[in-house]
Formats: sequence, C-alpha cells, structure tokens
Amino acid sequence: MTLIRRRLKQEIQLATGTSARSFLDPAVLARLSAVPLFSRRPMQGSVSGRHSSRHRGSSVEFAEYRRYVQGDDLRRVDWRAFGRTERYYVKEFEADTNLRCCMVLDTSGSMEFGSRGITKIHYAKQLAGALAYLAVQQGDAVGLSCVAGTRVAELPPRRNPAHLSAIFDALEQAEPQGETQLGAMLHELAESVAQRALIVIFSDFFLPTDELRDCFEHLRFRKHDITVFQLLDPLELAFEFQRPMRFLDMEGGSSVFADPTEITDRYHQALATFLTEFKKMMLESRTDYHRVTIDTSYEKVFMNFLAGRHDSQGVR
Amino acid sequence: MSFLQPILLAAIPLIGLPVLIHLVNQRRYQTLPWAAMIFLLAAHKLSRGFARLRQWLILAARTLVVAGLIFAFARPLASGWLGLAAGSRADTTIILLDRSPSMSTACSDGIGTKLDAGRHHLAETLEKLGSDHWVLIDSATAEPIDIQSPQDLLTAHQTGPVGASANLPAMLRTAYDYMQSNQTGRTDVWICSDMRSHDWDAESGQWPAIRQGFLDLPQSVRFYLLAFPEDPRENTSLRMTEVRRRETDQGATLVVSLDITRNENAAEPNMVPVEFDIEGARSVVQVEMNGRTHELKNHEIPLEASQIQGWGRVTIPADSNNLDNDFFFAFDKPQVRNTLLVTEEPHASRALQLAAEIATDAEIETSVEVNSPTQLSSTDWEDVGLVLWQAPLPSGKDAELLQTYVENEGRIILLPSRSPGTDSIFDFTWGSWQKTPEEVTVGNWRGDADLLAHTRSGSALPVGALQIHRLCGVAGEMTPLATLSSGDVLLGRLPTARGGVYVLASTAIDSDSSLATDGVVLYVMVQRALAAGCQRLCQVRQHVAGSLGGDSSGWERLTGSRLALSHQYAFHSGVFKTGERLLALNRSGAEDATRVLSEEQTDRLFAGLDWVRLDSQADERSSLVNEIWRLFLLVMLIALLAEAILCMPKVRLTPLPGGRALA
Repeated sequence: MTLIRRRLKQEIQLATGTSARSFLDPAVLARLSAVPLFSRRPMQGSVSGRHSSRHRGSSVEFAEYRRYVQGDDLRRVDWRAFGRTERYYVKEFEADTNLRCCMVLDTSGSMEFGSRGITKIHYAKQLAGALAYLAVQQGDAVGLSCVAGTRVAELPPRRNPAHLSAIFDALEQAEPQGETQLGAMLHELAESVAQRALIVIFSDFFLPTDELRDCFEHLRFRKHDITVFQLLDPLELAFEFQRPMRFLDMEGGSSVFADPTEITDRYHQALATFLTEFKKMMLESRTDYHRVTIDTSYEKVFMNFLAGRHDSQGVR
Repeated sequence: MSFLQPILLAAIPLIGLPVLIHLVNQRRYQTLPWAAMIFLLAAHKLSRGFARLRQWLILAARTLVVAGLIFAFARPLASGWLGLAAGSRADTTIILLDRSPSMSTACSDGIGTKLDAGRHHLAETLEKLGSDHWVLIDSATAEPIDIQSPQDLLTAHQTGPVGASANLPAMLRTAYDYMQSNQTGRTDVWICSDMRSHDWDAESGQWPAIRQGFLDLPQSVRFYLLAFPEDPRENTSLRMTEVRRRETDQGATLVVSLDITRNENAAEPNMVPVEFDIEGARSVVQVEMNGRTHELKNHEIPLEASQIQGWGRVTIPADSNNLDNDFFFAFDKPQVRNTLLVTEEPHASRALQLAAEIATDAEIETSVEVNSPTQLSSTDWEDVGLVLWQAPLPSGKDAELLQTYVENEGRIILLPSRSPGTDSIFDFTWGSWQKTPEEVTVGNWRGDADLLAHTRSGSALPVGALQIHRLCGVAGEMTPLATLSSGDVLLGRLPTARGGVYVLASTAIDSDSSLATDGVVLYVMVQRALAAGCQRLCQVRQHVAGSLGGDSSGWERLTGSRLALSHQYAFHSGVFKTGERLLALNRSGAEDATRVLSEEQTDRLFAGLDWVRLDSQADERSSLVNEIWRLFLLVMLIALLAEAILCMPKVRLTPLPGGRALA
C-alpha cells in the first residue's frame, strides 16, 4: 500500500504539475480521497479488496449457516449450533474483493457544448479523473473507453498506479467529434467485460430512448453495476433565446432555423418527455442515475455519488 | 380609385421593405452550434406549419402597414364607383356642360335642378381630383373657356340654364379641337348631361369620326359621363304651335294654337290655367287635361285694332321643369308669301306652281312668279320666300344670286330639268336621268323633322305611297330626307350655314312621279318650305334659341329670363328686339321629348374609348368622390394590431425541466 500511495502521489504531482491535466484539481482529489468508493452489488475481483464478493470468504462479516457436507473443513463447523440442534452447520463469512471500474466517456460532438464557460466533455473529464484516482487509490482496477462514432480509446481495467497516468493521458487527449455511437459501444462493452464490474457512463445521452433501453437491459443482464452521469448544459434545459437563430448540429452538418418564440414550448415538451422516459428507464434498469447540469460543482456531484453508494453498499 | 397626391405612390415599392428586412435579418441570424438537436428537430417539425403561416401573416401585416401608410398619405379618393379613375392628376380637365332646358328639371327635394346638382357634383369632385388646367365647354356656345377652378362652375354665367338645346357631338368636336390645338397632356373629359336623345344625336354620322379622332390623339384621354337620366317628376310642358294676327269685322284678334303635354308621372285630370301675357295684358284660360296631351286650337285673344305688331308670353303653373312652362311669341300682320318658280317649261311645272299658290289658310296671301333662268336679274329677292328651281343649275352671277339669297335665310327646292346639265351649285351636281324599276318605292324618310315631318296630329305624310318612275342622279354631300328602297336619294338637304337648299330628284310630271297626282306630299313640302322661307320676310320671327348663333349685339330684351346676359340673349328663351324686328326665341320641340339614350347606345358611342359612366340622382348632394385616407389608416392600425398579436410571445404552459443536478 505504501508503494501504491507513493506512486499515486507521483501521479498527482505529475497531473497538477503540468497544464495538460487541467481537469484534475489536487485539492478536490485530496478531499474526495477521504470517502471510499463502494460497489452497490457484489463484485468479482481478482484480489482482496473492500468490496463484497459474490463468493464466501474469510472476512469477519457473517454471511450464513450452511449444512455440513462431506469435505468441508471441520474447523468451520459451528459447534455451538451443533450443541443446540445436534446438527452440523458450517458458518460462512463474506469475502471482500476488489472492484473493476469501467468508465465510458462519450466523446461525440454534442459533448463539446457548454454555455457557462465549461463544456460537457470537460466536466465529464473532471468526474472521470476523480473517479479513476479514487478507485486506484483504494486498489480497484479502472479502465476507460472513449466512444464517439467508433471506440476512440480503449484502456482495460488495471489497478496498477501507473495505469492511472495512461487513463489521464487518454482523458486529456479525448476530443469531441462526430456522431455518437454510444448505443452500439455499450452493447460491445456489455459483451467484452466478462466479470461483474462497475460501469460508469459520462454522456448527455441525446439518443432515442428505445435504443438506450436495449443497452441498459444488456448491461443489467450482465449483472454490472451501472452508473450514469447525464450531463446537461443549463441552456439546453432552459432554451432561452430572444431572437430567431440558426442552430447548427454539433454532431453533423445540418442546421435548423428556428424562432424561439415559436419553438420553445415544443422543445421543452420534447425535452421533458425524453428526460422523464430516461429517468424511468434508469429506475427500471436499477441504474445509479445522476442528471447533472454542468454549472454545478463537480465535487459536489461526485460527493453525492459516493455518498449514495455508501448508503446502498452490500446489496447482494 | 384616384389620389390627390399621386406622386406619393412612387413610394409603393417600399411595401416590399418588410420582406427585404426579413430577408436581411435571416442572413444576419446568429448561428449557434447546438447539441440537443434531437429535441430541436422534433419541436421544429411539430411547429413548422404554424410557424411558417405565422411568419407569412406577420409579413403580410407589416406589408399592409406600409401600404396603408403610403396610400393614406397619397389621399385616395373613392366613390360609389371604386376604380373611378386610374392614376395620376390630369394635365387638363375639360368639362362639357349640358345647359339645355331639360337639365332644368327640378330635383325631388325641390332645392335645385339637374343642372345645379351636376355643377355641384362637378365642382366638388373636380376640386378634389385636381388638374393643371380647367376648360369649360357649355352647350350654348360650344366654345372652350378657361376657368380658374372648378368652383367657378357654381358662379360662372356660362353655366346657367339656357333655352338652347345641347349638341353633344359638336361639344365633343370642340373638345377634340382644343386638345389638338393646345397639345394638352393627359386629359379628363367630364360630360354632365341628362342623356336626352336629341342632345346626343346618336344616329349622327359624326360619331365615328369623333371617336376615331379621340382614339388617334397621342395623349391619354379619359371620359367621365356624369349622367342624370331619370325622368322628371310631375311635369307639364307647353308649346305654341301657331300664332297669327287676324282682322275680322269685329276687330283684330290674335289666334293661337298650343299643345299642352304632361308626362306619365303627372296627376290625373286637372285643370291647367294657361296665362297669356300680351305686352302686359294678361288673360287666363282654364284647360281641362284628360289625357297626356291637349291641343288648344285657334284660341282667339282680342287685340286693339291698332296693334299690328306685338309680342307676348304664354305660361302654365310651375312644376318640376320651369323652362318648359313658358312659350314666347311675337306677331305681325301676315305677309304675302311669294314664291319664285324658275323653269324652262312652265307647263311642266304647273303642279309646283299650284302647290305654292294654294295657301294653307284663307287669310294667308300667296303669289307665285314664274320666270325663266335668264330673268333672274329682274327678280326682287327681298320679297321671295321660296325658290322652286326646275332648270339646269345656274352658274356665274346667277349662282351668286342664289347663294346670297340662301345666306339671307332663303329657301330653295332644286328639281331636275329634262337636261340637268353639269354645272354645280352648293357643291351639288345633277347626274343623269334613270328609269326606276316599278317595284321601287320610297323606303324611308325623316318623319321627325324638316319637310316630311309628321303632321301636328302625329300622322305621317303618305310618302310611302309615292310612285317614282324616273329619278335623276344626285352628286354631292347632303342629308337624305327620303330615300327609295333601292337606296337612291329622292329628297335631300344640302349643307348650308343658313337658309335651306333642298334637292328633289324627280319632278311632278306624271311620267316622272306621282308627286302631282298624290299631291299631298308635294303640297306639304312646298308649303313648309315656303312658310320657313317667309319667316325672313316678317318683322317678327319665331326661332329656336341658339339657332341664330351667339351674336346678340344690339338686342333688347322685351321679356324672358332676367338672368340672361345681353351677349347671351341668343341662347335664352324670350322676346328680343333687334332694330325694327322682333325675335321670339324658344326651346326646340325636341326638348319636350323625354326619350333618353339607352345604355347600349351610350356604349356604342364611346366604344373603344376610355370612359366611365357615373349615373347620379339629381337630388344627391354628396360628392361623387370622397377622401378615404381614414379607411387606409384604419387598415394600417388593424394590421399593426394583428402584427403585435402575432408577434406577442406565447405564455409558456410547459414548465422548464429542472436545471439542477438530481443526485
């Protein structure tokens, strides 16, 4: 652990020492590192960690009694139970394992949008960077997939502190462009991540809800713990314009000329319908859903995220 | 629609300004890269139809605002005939004003006459329409007079009622001459008339030439026909048909015959008091009207034996047209009606001699002097009432004598001799004799006027019963009075400034025609021509007002309209003294005919010309045109309101989605 902490410190120093790591704030990371990251569901890690495993282990946390079967270690027979019931029961304990965290960053053109001096992609990088730091700090494996029209970058989950640097580099290099193929990428991810993992998706999810529903059903079917950060700009929500404008699609070349006085109501209707359906879909797929407007402090959002997971940890 | 400030219509292209601004604005719209396009597209798709409609409506409203403003500033005029005038202010406006007696028909409100209403309408309307020059051509003088403004129509003495009939073709010709000689620009011709048929003379051969003349003018000409065709309300007219002095054993009397006619609107039988005023001595006769017409025949009014010559006036009570309630007359001792028969074969002209010798009244003395063409120099032309010329046409001094005679209002009837010769007079020449087919008869003749007019009782002369066996050809311009069914002229009148020259293309010899055997037609023709010719021999004369031209210098009014100015006496009804001669001027008989020009006839007269007919009620006091800029301002305000409503931001019914992070 000492070695890991030292490497982490080096990484942080590296990150804060260069302008390239603009999405990392050491002070925020320092504050966040005090709060552990929990999985909401039992994980299937390769090493011991602080997350519950779907297998029984040797932790101090009692799990259940099980009838003795031939071959069981006699040291695990609960003789007190035998004294009360004259039956042989084996006492089982929870196993702790590490977490595999797969971050998915939408780098489509729409993530470039930002009306308050910060873009959605930058906000997503801040959240992803903090999450990666926190996970590696507590010994969990972190991977990163940047998706746009194709999978732009792919880093498999590693718990090696040196891997953090690669993740930061990948985040740094991620530039929004082109149309999103998030749906297809999520299907691929569901198939490619064999073991249970924490899937964290950073996107605005401006896609048809039917297409997204299939993706989340697929991920849920693979028993992943899914977390969604839906990043929205305040202007996208308010749609407050005073005069007619030409809106240029950031994911394509098409444009729409619209008079806000005519279109605002219907825009709000369409947006509200989408958000309602999306939220319902998140509830149905038991996704840890966070709708975020990017004028909110990412530290606060991240803290809410951690706190929420702390409250729901251990659900098996 | 016309405009008082048409120059401002040059700003009409500004109507496109809102569209232009819209297009410029579209180009200046800010372009914003947008992420949530999926919702924008959905919203845009839903609202596209209405939004586009709204945009069009807003543009239309803004365009209307600008248009309304421009049109309001241009001060549009409108009337019951929207589209009255197209375009700009006229360079010259010519007003043809019918001042004939029929225009003096009173309005239903009793305040004024058709002429008053017409002047009022014209003054107001033309004042609003505006023009650079105003020219008045009144029906009496038919001469163009420059006026300062349309308001002069209300005060100028040239616009008052007269006894003379109107001659619209002549007035239009004057207008045409004025336009051509003055090289006017765009010209409006306003005609104010009651559309009486006799004023318009729709059958006149002048119309095609007048029409073509206006069509050939280089400048734009538009006609406005302000018509008052409605029949007068209850109206009775009076016309004296005969007045003569007669001496009997009991003393002198004045014998008068008169017709009283009332229109169909007049009340049923009533007594009409007819007042005779002979140089101040008045008498009244009650006439009971049982039908539409009544003839008072040979009514005798006693005279002083010493009163050889005199004048007077006969009057019936006032009604809707006061100008046809008077008739003026003058009388004198009957004159001997002298006829000069010029013939190479007196026996062949015997029928003519008899027709001239036998007077229509026993009290009328007649004489016929038969001469050969070579004896003209010995004739006392001052006493001749009619010349019957059945000899080769004269030439040289003889021709000059005849021309002078006609200029002095003499009458001549020319008949062909056996050898007509080739000489010409009054631009007329005889042709050769032709035998006509037996079936040829007189096809048509003028029964409304001149020698072959119907009798006083309205009966037609038996002209159709005449048999024409031989006919002499005629060559020269003339007005046909009777034509054969083959189209050949039997009787015609040559155009002369004064007097009258008639051409009869056959003779009274039995081998030529049945004029002698069926002598009525010949007799009436000769006696009428003689009576007309003898008018010049009398010291008193009856004339139609306006027929003597406009020169009334030296005239003294004895009775008649007090409004008449001395230099216009010739156009007014009344009795005037000029030298030793008395002149009684009255309206023409045609003025009593109420027939008006039909719309089809009017259309024909103005065919091909740019014209508008404005029928009006004589009692309408409102202007023909009104300024309607308020209407355009109202349209503009409505458009502004509509634009404001369309541009008003809609109340947002849908709450904004939460804009905060939901952890």
